[in-house]
Amino acid sequence: MNTIFAKRFAIVALACMAAAPTAALAADPYVVGLTGDMTGPDAGNSGAVADTVRIYFEKVNERGGINGHPVQVIIRDNQSQPSRAASDAQEFVNDPNLLIIVTASLSSTYVPTISESKQHGVPVLFAGGVCPTEVFPPANPLLFCTSGYAADKDAEYAVDYVRSVSPGNVTVGFVSMAIPISRGGMEHGAAVAESKGMKVGDHEIIPPTTVSFSPYATKLKAADVDWVISWAPWITQVKAFEALRELGWQGKFITYAHNVAEEELKRIKDPGFLVFGTNAMFIGNQPVHQDIIAAAQGKTKFPYTYLNEGWIASITLEAALKKVPWPPTRAKLVEVMNDLTIDMRGMRGGPIVWTKDNHFRRELFYRVYGWNSTQNSIEVVKDWVRMDVK
Amino acid sequence: MQVAANIVVLVAIYALISCGYVLIYRVSRVLNLAHGELMMLAAYLLLALGTLFDGSPFIALIGAAVLSLAMGLVLYVVLMRRMTGELVISAVLVTIALGIFLRGAIVLIWTGRLYHPIDQLLWRNPPIALGAGAAISTVAMVTIVTAVATYAALFVFFQFTRWGVRMRAVGENPLLAAQRGIKLHATYALAWAMATFTGGCAGILLSLDSGLDTSMAVVSLKAFPAALVGGLDSLRGAIVGSLIVATAEVLSIQYVDPLVSDVIPFLVLIVMLMVRPWGFFGTKEEIDRE
Repeated sequence: MNTIFAKRFAIVALACMAAAPTAALAADPYVVGLTGDMTGPDAGNSGAVADTVRIYFEKVNERGGINGHPVQVIIRDNQSQPSRAASDAQEFVNDPNLLIIVTASLSSTYVPTISESKQHGVPVLFAGGVCPTEVFPPANPLLFCTSGYAADKDAEYAVDYVRSVSPGNVTVGFVSMAIPISRGGMEHGAAVAESKGMKVGDHEIIPPTTVSFSPYATKLKAADVDWVISWAPWITQVKAFEALRELGWQGKFITYAHNVAEEELKRIKDPGFLVFGTNAMFIGNQPVHQDIIAAAQGKTKFPYTYLNEGWIASITLEAALKKVPWPPTRAKLVEVMNDLTIDMRGMRGGPIVWTKDNHFRRELFYRVYGWNSTQNSIEVVKDWVRMDVK
Repeated sequence: MQVAANIVVLVAIYALISCGYVLIYRVSRVLNLAHGELMMLAAYLLLALGTLFDGSPFIALIGAAVLSLAMGLVLYVVLMRRMTGELVISAVLVTIALGIFLRGAIVLIWTGRLYHPIDQLLWRNPPIALGAGAAISTVAMVTIVTAVATYAALFVFFQFTRWGVRMRAVGENPLLAAQRGIKLHATYALAWAMATFTGGCAGILLSLDSGLDTSMAVVSLKAFPAALVGGLDSLRGAIVGSLIVATAEVLSIQYVDPLVSDVIPFLVLIVMLMVRPWGFFGTKEEIDRE
């Protein structure tokens, strides 16, 4: 009896010993560091991205994690301050278990993050703000971007759209904010417009601290522009448009669709105000949109329409982590991300495709939305148009 | 004509904001660097009350204005009163800390997203034609009327009311005023309440005209040069300073370069500090640097 008991005890003990490392491994998480602007000047945009990444991976962990491992997201608020972003990045790169840094803040925070990334070989995913130039071909090996913003490409598309709907003589005005990325994008747009035979009537570069937009609108109106194209933070775009309407301007305004655009189209209700962008609005009611709404219920103060960018970044990150064999390393993750295709499930016009040379995406898809006053609802003014990224 | 209208609207905004700086400074010599955040808080209070009193916009509006007045009183009693007798710079540092705290608290409660309180109150903001092709929004017109009414009321208050005269006396010589039986703390508290009220009105009107997000606090920094140029302890100076700064800003947008408009208020300020550091109508003060 004692022998049988001893044998059984030995078997159970061996089984426990064998299982012990596996159990420990199963509990080991994929560690992700997120440095985002949650209480700074871009909190309205980046804060939503940070919230979404947190919500998404909470759901993933509830489902059992990725490959049996939970995902631990360490979130830090950088308030879009470079010094804070630098300190976050230092903390992240010095964590030996951390695989990737996700950033969601203004571009002013990129330099310190990229610098730490290069020194320690940690990949960075730009999930909220504008994509840095280093992700376009030929891409920096460690930098990747899922966000929809690409100033020059966006400007090119907006000009193309205006040309397609106004083939004759047309005078175009541009509105940008006095920050390099916005101003550069609109200057590029103005050059493209001129190359396409359009007359550039005016380009207003509006400082971020502007109190009244009427002086800028006065100049645009005086330039007799038929169209205004804008690529800037939302507040600059929409206030410029509203100031123009206040002065009785009757032209059309096309501007970049930030995450706030869907709510704003419903508020403004002006068929002459169009937004273009790379993300499908929730009016499309895709199954993935239902997933977002259900996941966000009671977990964020942001409207669900703000959660597109964060969700896209999260499904991309999940897809990448899924392909990394355990135990994961930064190098293994970079290798996976260098050859990755992610199905956007209808949130964009096509998949995100990353290659070794292109960490932005090979193809961009744009859609234009506007307000249909007859149906009293948002409508797709022009469906997905593909642009190659070379 | 439109350029003139743009100048008048901006003068009204700056004048309404800068009188808050002046009211506190002329009585206590404290520069309230949380003025922008207090102004913004009033606008967020309007947003909260708009939700609470859904369908009663005037109650929400009056409630927010009254709360901004009460906020000044409470701030003085709870926080600034303790700074009496301390170095003025300590009190100024307290206002900086207060501003940082308020900004953080606002983002935590309301996030940094863009709100439009006017929609919540179910009001519209149609343009008003001024003739010769010029137009301004209805809220901009209300802002002009409010600024004029505020300054007229303040003039009457300081010239013809007992509390107004007391406040001037405290501003000129607090020790003598106290010896004559004027209650210093009550006077300071009133100045804070009036400043947060006028600032709150500015914040509420700005949010109704162009929406509300956490960038509003920055707007007050642009009105700050207006107060300094006019003279930090002079309401008359605040009007003149606002006129100079707003005119320079709008004309530089129109005729020079929009980018210049961002620095013009501070350029005007630097010139004024070099030529007449106490401003157009301010009191010449001697600074003890020992």
